[in-house]
Amino acid sequence: MASLQHSQAIKGAKVLMVGAGGIGCELLKTLALSDFQDIHIIDMDTIEVSNLNRQFLFRQSHVGQSKAKVARDAVLRFRPHISITPYHANVKDSNFNVDFFKQFNVILNGLDNLDARRHVNRLCLAAEVPLVESGTTGFLGQVTVHVKGKTECYECQPKPAPKTYPVCTITSTPSKFVHCVVWAKDLLFAKLFGDKNQDNDLNVRSNDAARSSKNVDDVFEWGENEDIEQYGRRIYDHVFGYNIEQALSNEETWKNRNKPRPIYCRDVLPDIMTQRNGNNVDKTDDLSSASAMASLGLKNPQDIWCLMENTKVFIEALKLFFTNRRKEIGNLSFDKDDLLAVEFVTAAANIRAASFNIPLQSLFEAKGIAGNIVHAVATTNAIVAGLIVIEAIKVLKKDTESYRMTYCLEHPSKKMLLMPVEPFEPNKSCCVCSETPLSLEINTHRSKLRDFVEKIVKAKLGMNSPLIMHATALLYEVGDDLEEDEIANYNANLEKVLSELPSPVTGGTMLTVEDLQQEFTCNIHIKHREEFDEEKEPDGMVLSGWTQALPEKKDAKTSNGNGASTSKSLPTKPGNTEIDIEVKEISDGTVSPGTKRKLSEFSAGSPVDHSSDVDETRNNKKIQKHDDEDELVMLDHWDSDMSKKQRLP
Amino acid sequence: MAEPKAKYDRQLRIWGEHGQAALEKATICLLNCGPTGSETLKNLVLGGVGSITVIDGSKVEPGDLGNNFMVDESCVGQSKAKCVCTFLQELNDAVKAKFIEEYPEALIGSNPSFFSQFTIVVATQLVEDSMIKLDKICREANVLLIFARSYGLTGFVRISVKEHAVIESKPDHFLDDLRLNNPWPELKRFAETIDLNVTDPVAHKHTPYVVILVKIVEEWTKAHSGALPSTWDEKKEFKELLKAGMVAMDEDNYKEAIEASFKVFASRGINSDLLRDNA
Repeated sequence: MASLQHSQAIKGAKVLMVGAGGIGCELLKTLALSDFQDIHIIDMDTIEVSNLNRQFLFRQSHVGQSKAKVARDAVLRFRPHISITPYHANVKDSNFNVDFFKQFNVILNGLDNLDARRHVNRLCLAAEVPLVESGTTGFLGQVTVHVKGKTECYECQPKPAPKTYPVCTITSTPSKFVHCVVWAKDLLFAKLFGDKNQDNDLNVRSNDAARSSKNVDDVFEWGENEDIEQYGRRIYDHVFGYNIEQALSNEETWKNRNKPRPIYCRDVLPDIMTQRNGNNVDKTDDLSSASAMASLGLKNPQDIWCLMENTKVFIEALKLFFTNRRKEIGNLSFDKDDLLAVEFVTAAANIRAASFNIPLQSLFEAKGIAGNIVHAVATTNAIVAGLIVIEAIKVLKKDTESYRMTYCLEHPSKKMLLMPVEPFEPNKSCCVCSETPLSLEINTHRSKLRDFVEKIVKAKLGMNSPLIMHATALLYEVGDDLEEDEIANYNANLEKVLSELPSPVTGGTMLTVEDLQQEFTCNIHIKHREEFDEEKEPDGMVLSGWTQALPEKKDAKTSNGNGASTSKSLPTKPGNTEIDIEVKEISDGTVSPGTKRKLSEFSAGSPVDHSSDVDETRNNKKIQKHDDEDELVMLDHWDSDMSKKQRLP
Repeated sequence: MAEPKAKYDRQLRIWGEHGQAALEKATICLLNCGPTGSETLKNLVLGGVGSITVIDGSKVEPGDLGNNFMVDESCVGQSKAKCVCTFLQELNDAVKAKFIEEYPEALIGSNPSFFSQFTIVVATQLVEDSMIKLDKICREANVLLIFARSYGLTGFVRISVKEHAVIESKPDHFLDDLRLNNPWPELKRFAETIDLNVTDPVAHKHTPYVVILVKIVEEWTKAHSGALPSTWDEKKEFKELLKAGMVAMDEDNYKEAIEASFKVFASRGINSDLLRDNA
């Protein structure tokens, strides 16, 4: 370990860390203790209290300060003579361009979102600098190595996008608590406290004759001198009472589903709260600590409130927003650290859940769902940081044969908690590192350029500052140096349907989309299609061509997979599909190992043709062995994950 | 509002309130606070463990500055246990941190009953002789003992405990067991009311997968003198049998039945190992 070559490789290295959070703190410490002398670190966040259970370079007194800077200061305390350069900035900023990345020997990611990871991946490919990627969720973690031309890039295996739900499930037919949370957060909260001009799928019209005196178009408008509690009750009745009645009138919807029940405030909470409690909300209360729970005496966020308590919280939270935070209304977006917002969303989600016979949840649970909170603990990050440094050193020594992707499991599999896998060869159909063209099915007469930009270019392709060309015509671009008339032209283009653009985009033509900063170009063949399934294809467009390698092996693997999961019949395992979905929802980059072609030459025959067969045989052997020995063997997480992976669309 | 818990929010989402309570009740004794032991305690302290007691008789030497980030230049010459303890206390002031400047080997020899007060003893950098002695002491006192050593890029962690009861196992997935291969009377009756071979395609693809399994298992056991599918081939055959019942490709209920078929393979009754165990 102390060979001269080894220490020279480290001492002379210039490394970039992206992220100074959970993984970042452990990584910076390990790098410093491993004798790295020149470390740069980018992180745009500031320190929060919930970080302190694992980001050990930070203290309570640091809350609010820059993570990158505080981390640097903490490490310099025990390694005063090394160089650590912090950047309190977003890695997507234009100054972190290809030239910036080129100055480093290796890039080490400790990010928590897919978008930034893809961005860094592209810059590393463009700069031709190796990337060591990583991610953790609770007890699970992984470290992967990406070297252009030698291994897969980070995007060779398409990563699952954050889970979205069909609009009708959210607005009309929720069946899970998460649907109710999304409704409460993205519809109700947004309608009441967010931008009033935004389109909203919430039913806003009311036929209530009693309100006809004002001829109010939007029932959510707060009347001039309306008592706050009255207003709250009115909203309550509208969304939980009237809207449900409206929905019930459509018999078709409920043919095969349980019917919801309308809930009216007067049935749950007959007395006016202010009269009963005798406490009018005091306007001089400390604004920042306004909390419905506090004024109602509900102390434990882990308690599940009953319908009446939820109703009280709903009304009280609404009151507090309007009395203490009037100015913010109209501009508020949901923030998981805004207690009052979390209280309101929890209450609203719970009341809706009660209506639809879905089990209620605590504030703690609801907050996790609404805020997309990922569970995290110090130990996994420490393990992953150690693995990152080990891989980084291999990269610096150009020890290609030794590169490993390592997966940290929750329970040992075959007595191993860490699963090393050799990296795979680049995916020839990867549109990022292999420049494969893609196909897009879209209704060119109905979809606008704006839809294409939002749903495909930004969301699916992960481009930040895209440029869209159709043959020689520049249809759209983003930039700081554009002229007024150019901007106007592009804005006009956004609103046009594809077939009516200055350079008409119809079936059979090709669009070229580029992000100059990421140095990423993508050619997309357009295919016109009239109809799309509202539930299965909610975007109204389907992008294809970005496939995993060896699609033809799918069937063989699937049956193997079935064999694996059924022979090792621990009840937990079909839930494997659920594991995948959970991970997908979190989208932290945690990936289960896949069975694909291998880099090494140990596989029989050429890597291209036979290594997958070797994998299969190995799989097969494992399965057979277990079957003969013992039925109820601890399920091999590793095997099922691999076979499950083949099944993912 | 439980504000003190805000710090632990992310880990509460892993092990819940009971897990956190158990952690906060725990008392840890660390023997030797070299890099291995110190890092171990760091993770426990961050999580809010009840108390830590660090036992180490050595003083901080310049060499320690290279591999233990909890000590710095100003600590050279002082008790290592004291310095590490001070650093750890900073990480979480809710944890009670104590230290004893004494060599663990000496303590093991002179005061074995000292260890019975702890929930867990983490013993690092001990030689085998001491490990054996300590193991005997901890077993008698029913204290959980963890040995750990590291050398360069290798190391070991070994747990030694007489018996450890787990009540809330928190399985990843809800374990449901409808005893499909031995259904209770009402389930049996319900299954009897359903005809798997119903002609209406909508009804066919709405037959609950549980019913499909109950019926097919019955068919199987009849044909195999009461035995359940046990070998890999038999299980495959069973699944083929299920597949044969499909009339269309989009019948999700049959797919679900195939995926869940392992539920009927489990043998009935209590595992023979458990029956044998008289403890």
